[in-house]
Parts: sequence; C-alpha cells; structure tokens
Amino acid sequence: MKKLNRRNFMTLAGASGAVLAAGASNPKKARAIGGDVSFANGGRDFSPVTGKERKAIPTACWQCVTRDSMMGYVEDGRLKKLEGHPGSIRTLGKLCAKGQAGVNQVYFPDRILHPMKRVGKRGEHKWKRISWDEALDTIAAKLKPLRDAGTPELFMYQYGRHKASQAATMYDFMGAFGTGTIGNHTSVCEAGKWTGQESLWGGMYDNWDYDKTDFVVNFGSNQFETHTNHIPTSQRLIRAMVDRGVPLYTFDVRLSNTAAKSTEWVPIKPGHDGLVMLAMINVIMNEGLHRTDHFKYMRVTSDYHATTEQKVAGIKEQVAKFTPEFAESKSGVPASKIRDIARGFAKAKSACLVTYRGTVMHYHGADQERAAMLLAAITNNLDTPGGRVMGVGAGWKAPSTPKAKVHKSLHIKDGFPGEAAFPTHHVSHQVGPMIKDGHAGRPKVYWWSCYNPAFINGDNKEWSSILQDESIMPFLITSTITYDESSQYADIILPDVTYLERWDWEDMVSANQIAEFYIRQPLVKPLGESRCQGDVWPELAKRLGFELAYKDKKDFVRQSCEMTPGVKEAGGFDYMMKEGVWHDPNDKGNYGFYAKEVDVSGDGVILDKDTGVYWNHKKAGVGSDAKYLETKGAKNAYVAQNIDGKALSAYAPNTSFTKSGLLDFYSDNFKSKGLPPFPTYTPAPEHVAMGKDDMILTTYKVAVHSHSRTTHCKWLTEIKHDNPGWINTKTAAERGIKDGDAIKVKSHVGEITTTAYVTEGIVPGVIAISHHFGRQHSGIYGSGKSNPFDGGASADPDAKNMTWKKHGVHPNAVIPNSSDPISGTQRWMDTVVQVSKA
Amino acid sequence: MNKIDTPKIGRRDVLKGAGVTVAGAAAVVATGPEVAEAAGTAPRWAMVMDLRKCIGCRACTVACKAENDVSLGRFRTVVQEKTIGEFPNTKKGFLPIMCNHCEGNKEDGVPPCVKACPEFPGERMTFNTADGKKIRYRGGATYKRPDGLVLIDSELCIGCGKCIDNCPYGVRSFNPFVKAGKAPDKQAADKCDMCKERIANNIDPSCVNTCQGRARIFGDLNDPNSEVAKLVKEHNLTKNVLLPAEGTDPQVFYIDPDNMLEKLYTKREKGKLDHYVDLIP
Repeated sequence: MKKLNRRNFMTLAGASGAVLAAGASNPKKARAIGGDVSFANGGRDFSPVTGKERKAIPTACWQCVTRDSMMGYVEDGRLKKLEGHPGSIRTLGKLCAKGQAGVNQVYFPDRILHPMKRVGKRGEHKWKRISWDEALDTIAAKLKPLRDAGTPELFMYQYGRHKASQAATMYDFMGAFGTGTIGNHTSVCEAGKWTGQESLWGGMYDNWDYDKTDFVVNFGSNQFETHTNHIPTSQRLIRAMVDRGVPLYTFDVRLSNTAAKSTEWVPIKPGHDGLVMLAMINVIMNEGLHRTDHFKYMRVTSDYHATTEQKVAGIKEQVAKFTPEFAESKSGVPASKIRDIARGFAKAKSACLVTYRGTVMHYHGADQERAAMLLAAITNNLDTPGGRVMGVGAGWKAPSTPKAKVHKSLHIKDGFPGEAAFPTHHVSHQVGPMIKDGHAGRPKVYWWSCYNPAFINGDNKEWSSILQDESIMPFLITSTITYDESSQYADIILPDVTYLERWDWEDMVSANQIAEFYIRQPLVKPLGESRCQGDVWPELAKRLGFELAYKDKKDFVRQSCEMTPGVKEAGGFDYMMKEGVWHDPNDKGNYGFYAKEVDVSGDGVILDKDTGVYWNHKKAGVGSDAKYLETKGAKNAYVAQNIDGKALSAYAPNTSFTKSGLLDFYSDNFKSKGLPPFPTYTPAPEHVAMGKDDMILTTYKVAVHSHSRTTHCKWLTEIKHDNPGWINTKTAAERGIKDGDAIKVKSHVGEITTTAYVTEGIVPGVIAISHHFGRQHSGIYGSGKSNPFDGGASADPDAKNMTWKKHGVHPNAVIPNSSDPISGTQRWMDTVVQVSKA
Repeated sequence: MNKIDTPKIGRRDVLKGAGVTVAGAAAVVATGPEVAEAAGTAPRWAMVMDLRKCIGCRACTVACKAENDVSLGRFRTVVQEKTIGEFPNTKKGFLPIMCNHCEGNKEDGVPPCVKACPEFPGERMTFNTADGKKIRYRGGATYKRPDGLVLIDSELCIGCGKCIDNCPYGVRSFNPFVKAGKAPDKQAADKCDMCKERIANNIDPSCVNTCQGRARIFGDLNDPNSEVAKLVKEHNLTKNVLLPAEGTDPQVFYIDPDNMLEKLYTKREKGKLDHYVDLIP
C-alpha cells in the first residue's frame, strides 16, 4: 500500500478537478471521509465559501449573565462565527441562540462608533461628533470639582450587566474617586431570591445538581429558554431527563418551553408557589417522609437548642394549616397533584427544588424562596449531591487601587424609607423616583452603562421623564453601543466596545460544583472609535489627578492571571490567552461546605451559649462577656457553630443578616421587622382585592432574547419581534376576544394596546406579555428606524431583506414600580389589569 | 462523537485508518450516484433528530444563520412548534426541520429537487472515497454526491426556481446575495449543505455542534459503529421521517416515541414557503 502524504492526496483529489463543477473547484471539497471517523465537537470552523480554516480564539459570551466560555472564529479580520468552548466544563461546548447571534452585536448597522455630544434639547436627537479627548476633558471638568469639594458621592454610576473584571475595574475606579453612589439592577432581576436565601444559608446563588439528581420540581423557572446559568444547567437537565429518566414537574402560569418539555406542566395561579411548597412540606412531614439528617443545622422556632423531635413538631405545627386542600383552593393546583409530587420529591434519592422569577417577583417573594429552602432542607437536599447546592464560581485575585480618603454615598440605592426591610441587593428601580423626590439628595453627574433605565424599570415612562428633566438630572453620561430609550437623553455618549472586542476575566458559577476560571479576549479590533470602559478609567483617572493600579483592561486581566492561585501555576496570562479556560483537575466538586470542622482554639474565640456560635470577641472589639447577637458587627467575627458538640463552619452569616450558623427558618431578623419569622402564605393585597373582571399581568423572556440588549440583533429579532398577550381561551371568550384581536391592557399607571394570542397554554385570568419589545429606539431591526448617527440601514445590505414590520409593545408602561416589602424586589408578576377588546 | 476529548484526526490518520489504496475502482453511472464494486466505501451522511431532547431553544436556527451567513427572510433550518390539547392538559412540541438530503425514489435514486433541475445531469464528476476508490457521478446545478449530500452549485444555477418548487419539504429558497452563475440577473437557489466544509474536516455541522440537548446527531449511516447507524437501528427509525409517502427516502430521521411527528409538522402549502420560517408566537 502506498503511503499517502498530504501532497499526493491532494494530487489524487485534484485529478478529478477538471471535471469538478465550479462549486466544488477546491479539490478539498471532493475529499471524502467515512468509516469510523469521530467528529470533534467544535474548536474549528471553516469558511463555507472558500473552505479556508477560520482563526479560532477562545473567549467568553456576554449576551446574558451566564457568560459562556466560547470560541470565536475570525476570517480576514471579521468575526464570522461563535460557538461553545469544547474544553469548558461549564458549557460543554454549547452556546444558545443569543450567544450564536453575538456576531450581530459587533456589526449591527445602528451601532454607535464615536463619542457624541448632545447639541439640541434632551430628546431632540441632535448630536455632534466629538473627539475622545474632548469627551473625557468635558467629563473630568464635571467630576473634578465634586471630588475637590469633598462631595464625590454626587457622582453616581449605575450599571446593568457588569460582572467579574468589568465590575472590578469600575468599582476600583469609583473607590479611588471616592463615590459609593453605585446603583445596580438586581431588584428588577431576582433580588428577592437572594434575600430569602441569605436569611438562611448566609450566601446566595443556588445551583441545581442535575448531573446527579433523581427528581426535579421547578417553580417558575423557564430554564430551557432563559436562566442566569442557562447553557450549563439547561443542557444537563434535558439530558438527565432523557438519558436517565429523571422526572421534571414544572409549576408555571404559562406553558413555557420548560413547562412543555416537563414530565408534567402544573398550571398555578400567580403568587402561589410558596403556598404549594408549604403544602408539600405539610404532606412530607405528616406522612413521615422527611429526612432528619439536616435538622441539626436548622432552626425552626425561637429555640436555638431544640431537639430533632421538637423541630419536627415545630415544622408540623407551622404548616398544619397549609393542607393540600387549602393550597388547591388558592392556587388552583389539585390537592392530589400536590400530594403525588411531594411524595415523589421526598422519596427520591436526591432531588432539586428549583425556583426563579415566577416564585420571587411577588409580594413576599423572598418568603416564598425561604419555603423552597425549607422543602430542600427537610428532605436533605441542601448542598448534597443531586440537590439544591451552593453555586461555585472562580475566585480571582485582582490588582486594586487605594481608596480615596473621602469616600461617601448618597442613600438613594435602597428605596424610600420603610419600603423594604432587607434590600440586600438594593432597590434599583426606585433610584430614578428617589432622585426625583430629592429628599436623599441628587447626583450632579449620573453615568450609566450596560443599563437602560427608561426601558427596563417599571413605569418606564416615568423614568424616561426623569432622565429628560435637566433640573433633576443635570449631567448625564452613558457608555453604550446602542441608541436607546435612555441614551437618547445623555449629554455625552461614549461609544463602548462590544464584549467581543474586550478583555475580561470571568467567574460564573459551574453546574458541576467545580470552579472554572476563564477569560474573554477581543476577537476583532474595536470598531470605529469604540473603547472599553476598563481602558477609559485609567485615562479619566489621570485627568482627575490619580493613578490606577493597572494601565488598561488587558493589563488588569494580565495581572489577575499572574496573581490568581491555580491559574498562575498553569501558565498565567499566556496560558489563558491560548486555552481560554482553566479548572483544577484534582477538584472533585464542592458539596457540604457546612460540615467542615473548624479550629476554635484561636485567641479570642468564645462560645456564645445562647446561639451556639463560636465567635471572636476580640475581632469584634468587645469583651468576652458580650453576647453575639447583641454585638454590632459580630457577624464578621463568626467562626463556627456548635453542632452536636462539634465546631462546624455551618451556615455562616456572609451578608447583612446577623444570624447564627443555623439555617434560620425561624428568623429573628424577619420578626424584628414585623415580617413572618417562619415561611408562610401572604397573598398580595391587590390580589385579595381583585374584582371579578380583573386579571393579573405577568411577563416573561423567550429563548432568543435577553431583556433589553438583543432586539438590534437581526437573527434574533427575525425569529421573535412581536409580543402578543397570552390569554386563555376561556378568559378570552368571556371578553369576546378572538385570537389576533387588538386588545387593551389597562392598569392604574397606564394603558397599552397589543394583540391577543388566545391559547390553552396559560392559566385563566392571567395575561402574559414578554418584556423585550415595544422599543422606542433599537435601530432598524429592533424598532424599524435608524438612529440619528451614521450607519443605519444603509450600512447592512441585509436590511433590505428584513421582513418584519411589527416591533411589539412594552408591558412595563402598565407595571408600577412596586417593591416586595421584604427584599425590595420589583413585583413584576403582581400587576392587576383590565383587559378588553380594543 | 461529542466527547470533549475526541482526539483530532488529521487527514493522514484518516486515510491510514481507512486503509487507502491509490488505485481505486471507478464506475460511471448515468444519473444517480452509485457505488461501484466495493459497496459502502463512501459515507452516507445522515442526521437523527431526537425529539425528546429538542427544547425549542433555536440555537440551531441561529447557528446556521451565522455559519452560512443566511440572509434575512429565509432559513436553512427552522424549528416548528405547536400547542396541542386543552387546558390544563396542554402540550407543546418542537420539530427541527432542514433539508432531508433525500436518497431519492427507489427507481432511479434521484431526489425530486435534482430531478427538477434543468441543469442536471451535468458534467461527469469523480468522488474519491477514503479508501482510495473512485465513484463517478453526475454534477449539475443541483446534484447528489455519492456521500448522500444533496448540493447546489450556484455557478451552474440558472435561477429558474424549479428545485424550490419541487421540494416537497420546501427547504429551498433564493439567496439574494448569490447570483445564479448561468443567469446573473437572477438569484441562485440555496439550502442546507450539512456544513460540508466542516464535515470535510471532521467537525460536526454547526447546528449539531451547538445543540444543547444533543437532539441533533450527525454521522455516517454506512458505518455500523456510528451513533446515527446505531440509533436508526435501535429505535427502528427507517420510517420515522417527514412525508414518508412521498418516496423521497429522507436521510433525516426522528426519534419520536410519543408519535408527535405528524401532529407537529406544518406542511408546505403548494407554491409557498410560509411554513419554513422560524417564528416564535
């Protein structure tokens, strides 16, 4: 047999070249493979036109907070294609539709590519292109006087999706400047979920261990379409179901794709997830299906020293009134169904209790999350393999600049006085209304990025009017890639890079309890004059008279790679640039963090007899006779919890809740604020007062869009650009509404007109409208009109092939900013509306 | 396939592994490709869609758009979805569809699109198999390669649209960015080519690569050890195809234990392509 080398193989293939058709003129195309060839699951890509291999660069997504590690493929300097990183333990080489459409973020024709200065009135859309020097000089001239006057807090920064090094560089700059007036967006996201968790296990972010689980019960999470850790978790869940026969029960008001793919969709009335969970707990406790393994970590009455028997009795007593029949009468879920699912959940070897926005974006949503934690705890499914586990992400080290001597904050981040008892993730939707109110002060400079307050908040028209009013908001800066509902009012627009043109280290939670370290690196040179904010901060700092600990974002990432244990030894920055991802190959997965034994022999460590907490009184700066719970800041001196005579790390108080190391299912914190100390059922007041013809409006996300950052992505908006209101066939018939009819949806803050999508896939009495659309400005693809700058439809030859004329309607115009009194979470799912034929 | 640590198989290794000889047998056939002498030397590319694992996420739809720079207003693959049943026992299912790379009817082995193409049969072509054999076949503006891929040669296309009209599945459309080679005032026909450049380099097609449920499985039906061959056998999928009565012999098979295929499939209306648009209601 003649040995073939590359050249004679080509010759061989080329021999038929003369008869190859033009479309296959490249001899490679005639090459055949077959037999037992294995196909690699990615890592390489080829031009379908030339057959040439594209340059492959590992990087990370940013279409949503999941931030998948991925590969970018570049051809002749142009980004052509994105795919999951085949070496990632999180994504396993997968990427979602949004991630795939990341290419559109770089090249959408309405992208802002130059610094712009407003020259007309706010909202007149009159702009002048300026240089970066002029832009930064202008900004420095506004900021420097604030810092010099000892009022750095009058500079406010607010962000949407900043994480990892994008957030770290921003916080570093703001710290060096001296302002703590930094707003986020979490209250419109899922803050109540974290508040509920923090009151118990001390931290936040539950992962669901689908690779090992045997049973899944899902309340209000549409994770097959969208989730904060979508690709890592969703793919594991569907494969667990099909490959291992794991059942999935989904409670949802709407037949989402997740509900559709579940073993069973269990329709439920909005706001009743917690009640059904309590009824499940009732069934499990009364039928003796609970497992007591975890009870030693739980506190279910005011007693810190209760026996397991006393705790069993305590839980039974608390949930006695929540019978399945009572739950059925309120939630619409049949009692028999509640019993069956409760039994299945409790008897499974391991089980995941899943919750998300459907559960928590309600009145007392944080309390409903506490019920979910209780259900997981009594079945020993908290941080155990196959259960609801504490998320594990990468812990990076990073350079930091010394903080300014004067460091202050305006108190406008946590809502109006008395609005929220525990706003542990702030009340971002009220920042605008609080600035308007003015009692807690107003920033003189407001800068936002990756954030669109006039679109994403409740009562968004109110937010819009606040941004438009120069007497309330005197100077506005935004770094953005899009002209949108908010940036239209800015005084200076800085052209941001897309995530595909910048450096970052990344740290999102793994689905398998093993931390993955990964980086984002530019795939192409920044378009136009766009600049990464991480490159802008050092420039701005120089103008303000201080130096940062890094010279640009790349330098920040480089330094971080060289100082982070593990990554450093693996080869640091060079390794990460080449490979993109790193995890410790010896890591077996992090479970049962609460069971770690702790040395309590250290100087100053004492046992607080009341609570069983070991704490360091010296660290807390008090005498050894002080009581733990009564000492201010004592939670920072927490060492361990006495569990059956052993000092264990248990559930340390890592957030603003002062608590013992026990899971506080009986919460003194809640009690002290007049909130229910034990999880209970508290219906939304407006639901109790509903009239016969009232309906509840809920919102949702679809698989192909993030909340507000993707409508200009043509490949996504082509698939979904309109958002009719889902309405049950029966409910529609009662109102004389037929499928496709124009309907009015009215609340006490406004009215919108949309079309009816009459379906059997929603609970009667509810209308569901996705919240991506109704864009005032989102370029040609998102809003049907170009922005006032260069570019526009003429910049993309594909724009003439655009087929859709509809751009939907924005439901936030009828949803008030209204907070959960526990967490301050925006109550997206509670709005009472009237729906009629338009 | 689909293992993360799959070793990269270079061209030389592939050829070695397949036992290449230079002097292969060759055969000339009139129209449809035939394998001469040593049957089974060419692969038969096929796709299995596991409907249990399709979650309707549309990653495949968009991956295909990017990979092939598919213009707006048309698709190379879509997911159809349908809601069935009455509340509260409502179901919703998802059906990914694409070019079936039909084998063609039993008589002549020519798929309907190829048969409809006025520019077929064209020149004589040679397909070199991995084991060094040559298979002769006929090219054309639309033609079937001996490895089963139904392909378009836009240089030979006259933009008549007959292949588009005659595909019972309606998976073809005009590409506004590519001129028909033989009639430059018209657009060339376009459709899924199974990412032929990727599979020529041992990389899964783009839609398969990104499918998080691993609902799309690609491989060689002629290789009994391939996952597709095993799945077709294990689940008895020979008849689990779209429009089996058409006699087109599709090479895209569906794992469908709940018998959803017919309920979910929105068929083409004659002369229209409205069914082949991915649109989430």
